[in-house]
Amino acid sequence: MKNSAKNLAYFLGSMAILIGLWELISIITKAEIPSPLSTWTVFKELMTEPFYDRGPNDKGIGNNLLSSIGRVFTGFALGSIVAIPMGMLMGSTKIGMKLLNPIVQILKPVSPLAWFPLGLLAFKDSGGATIFIIAITSLWPTVINTAFGVSSIPQDHKNVGKAFGFSTWKYLTKIVIPYALPHIFTGLRLSIGIAWVVIVAGEMLSGGVGIGFFVWDSWNGLSLEKILVAILIIGGVGLILDKGFNALQNAFSWEGK
Amino acid sequence: MTTENSVKFVDSANDFHKINSIETAVDIKDVTVSFKGSKGTFTAIKDINLEIKKGEIVALIGHSGCGKSTLMNTISGMVAPSQGEVIANGSVVKGPGPDRGIVFQNYSLLPWLTVYKNIYEAVDSVFKDKTSVEKHELVEENLKMVNLIQHKDKLPGQLSGGMKQRVAIARAFAINPKILLLDEPFGALDALTKSSMHIELLKLWNLDNRNKTIVMVTHDVEEAIFLSDKVVVMNNGPAATIKKIVDVNLPRPRNKKDITHDPEYIRIHDELLTLLFDKFSIED
Repeated sequence: MKNSAKNLAYFLGSMAILIGLWELISIITKAEIPSPLSTWTVFKELMTEPFYDRGPNDKGIGNNLLSSIGRVFTGFALGSIVAIPMGMLMGSTKIGMKLLNPIVQILKPVSPLAWFPLGLLAFKDSGGATIFIIAITSLWPTVINTAFGVSSIPQDHKNVGKAFGFSTWKYLTKIVIPYALPHIFTGLRLSIGIAWVVIVAGEMLSGGVGIGFFVWDSWNGLSLEKILVAILIIGGVGLILDKGFNALQNAFSWEGK
Repeated sequence: MTTENSVKFVDSANDFHKINSIETAVDIKDVTVSFKGSKGTFTAIKDINLEIKKGEIVALIGHSGCGKSTLMNTISGMVAPSQGEVIANGSVVKGPGPDRGIVFQNYSLLPWLTVYKNIYEAVDSVFKDKTSVEKHELVEENLKMVNLIQHKDKLPGQLSGGMKQRVAIARAFAINPKILLLDEPFGALDALTKSSMHIELLKLWNLDNRNKTIVMVTHDVEEAIFLSDKVVVMNNGPAATIKKIVDVNLPRPRNKKDITHDPEYIRIHDELLTLLFDKFSIED
């Protein structure tokens, strides 16, 4: 109880520093960078009607945000469906590791933007291409962490499976997955973080709807306040996603229980 | 450990023992185990011959690294002999099997499963033909046997070392193996817990009419004498062999406190110490 009050005080202190620096920059640039106060005014305006819809390129910030979140989770889910079995394969067999690891190492550092044209070519649609780049750039941390988790199962646990004649299915569901789960969740947490970073860049290219498009559209409309609002919202959502996955990670962790 | 139970064991125990010790449970024939490492081949145990009767308790004793665990693992099937063969319950050991229950050195409970589930998964895996109700009954029964039924929903991390060991023993008993293999089972326990675990182990063995053959690895001389019918003393490795097999002809049931005054106990204790200690001083 006392601790959480302390943590809240630190968080508020941290926010005060951020707003202070922002105000300072705004004063130095002679309000070319909008001040926190004027941004707040625009934020309130945007929030009066966050879900309006006036045609394809004019939607409320709430609509844009929901659309982005939807794409992020679709891409992330598709990526994870590939990543978890791939990581398990790499972690459980030497051959799997040797065959797949070079592929991971080569594809991992590729920028999401480099994948975009390939996505367009494959899906003939910018929305599909955005989901594609999220999937392909966010899956690597899950692959690597899953592989690490599975490969580090202690011999003791493996011996239990051997001694009591566990079937492959039982071995997988009662030993491999429970042991690797905390590692898998660490991977998923990193992956959703990447996915959320990638979405803004992706939507700037794809256009239409989404928080990334909203940023670009505001730039074209020369509303820096709107861009700052979007940045804060992107940061806030990113924080919530991270906390959410952190909570999941803790919920599925057997360590320290 | 109620007194009522203990009295019952005294009546019938010795007879069962005599009747059962005709059949051979484990026959180790000319077994050599070598491991291939980066620095060449390492021979852990060499030309081992050992016969264990049904219902016997046999302790393998020796210094650290003498290959006693390796020898036991050839019975469990965790280690394959490089030469020779091991016959357990009438057939050649090809790998681990449910006829041989193992209690590992560090309990090896799955930390994400409750006490109940740890035993259930083993039971479920071994008794594929039993109904769900039968399997659950079996788990309950074995948990009651080690007095852990009230802790059944706890995770292993919430238990003391002694309790974890009781879970591991209950798990091994639950699959009803003919042979029970214990790898330094009480090594990590304090002296008091260890003593009560010895009694509990013998209690379980008695409950099953001393039908189970127990092979245990230990480096505790007192433990070996108190529990066993035979103590197998091993030479130091590499290429360890059996130095001597010492028979322990102390009447059962044995009493932890009185046994230490028994002249036969003192004689065996001396003999074992000499066997172990001589080797040690030569090595020095």
